[in-house]
Amino acid sequence: MQADSSDLIQRAQQGDQAAFEALYRAHVGRVYALCLRLTADRARAEELTQDAFVRAWERLASFRGESAFSSWLYRLTVNVVFLGQRAGQRRALRVFTTEDPAAFERPGDAVSTVAGQLDLERAIAALPPGAREVFVLHDVEGYRHHEIARLNGIAVGTSKAQLFRARRLLREALSK
Amino acid sequence: MMCNEWETQLNEYVDGTLAAEARALVEAHLAGCAGCRAAVVELRALVAGAADLPKRIEPARDLWTGIAARVGKREVRNGKRWWRTALAAAATLVIGFAVYRLLPPFAAHYRPVGEGWLAVEAQYEQASDELTRALATERDRLAPATVALLERNLAAIDAALRESRDALARDPENVELRGLVASAAREKVELLRWATRVAT
Repeated sequence: MQADSSDLIQRAQQGDQAAFEALYRAHVGRVYALCLRLTADRARAEELTQDAFVRAWERLASFRGESAFSSWLYRLTVNVVFLGQRAGQRRALRVFTTEDPAAFERPGDAVSTVAGQLDLERAIAALPPGAREVFVLHDVEGYRHHEIARLNGIAVGTSKAQLFRARRLLREALSK
Repeated sequence: MMCNEWETQLNEYVDGTLAAEARALVEAHLAGCAGCRAAVVELRALVAGAADLPKRIEPARDLWTGIAARVGKREVRNGKRWWRTALAAAATLVIGFAVYRLLPPFAAHYRPVGEGWLAVEAQYEQASDELTRALATERDRLAPATVALLERNLAAIDAALRESRDALARDPENVELRGLVASAAREKVELLRWATRVAT
């Protein structure tokens, strides 16, 4: 991806805002999707997306290219989301399920695909926070349990228990 | 209907994380349990569906404006602006000293009084290493602005330590230089200690 080029990253590390904006344009969809699925709250996801990019800007100097920039950015995003939760900065939980289906709508997708995926998105959004976070990170984003445990400050066993609980609740919700 | 007592094993089976023996046990159970076979089919469909969800969702509004307003004040860093860096280091050293003055006294065994110089240095290194490791695991609990300030202060103290040690190496018997090294070392330990306490 052109926007992931080392040139853009290096320029952004030197303080070039235009280069950083190009990185933002390239990655905002992925970062926002992560925030939205982790919080099930559109307004909060927008705030956290902005927080994640501001933090990325502040910490760009610490990115040394040992991993892909995208991996670094997404892990930083997860940290920002969990940091907000730990600090008790979350506002009253505004869970949406069927009340706010537009949050997950993606114009241009085939209708049949969207229908099934929207059902799943709504069911994920309705999960209890702990189960939802682990499910999103493990089954949607592909993180391993030891990574989730480290990011979320929980035990590996707790991560597994939350995942299996989430899957049970989702199967129940989707079979109705 | 899945057998409740098999929930964990069936999930691990679907994830492919079971050892051979446990996997064989699950497969033996599945051979005789239609409910668990159906559950495995559902679990596989769920896991596949989750993995197939789009990785990108565009926000309903452009978020860049708010980000640009917050990052706009960051200074460009380059080697030619050495004087600006030097001024910043001097400023943060002052801040660091102010923070240090606000801190409670540290444990007496980190102080050089009455101890051999090598022992004092070793104690400082040990404390510094332990606190740095502790802080590394907890730093994400600190606000970004706090982390940035902390890093600038630590960098300034490290620079002061290097200069003092270099001077002491040239004049090993200079008591005043020893005092400077000890002071900077104590300052670093105190700052690390404060940061780890705030972060945890």
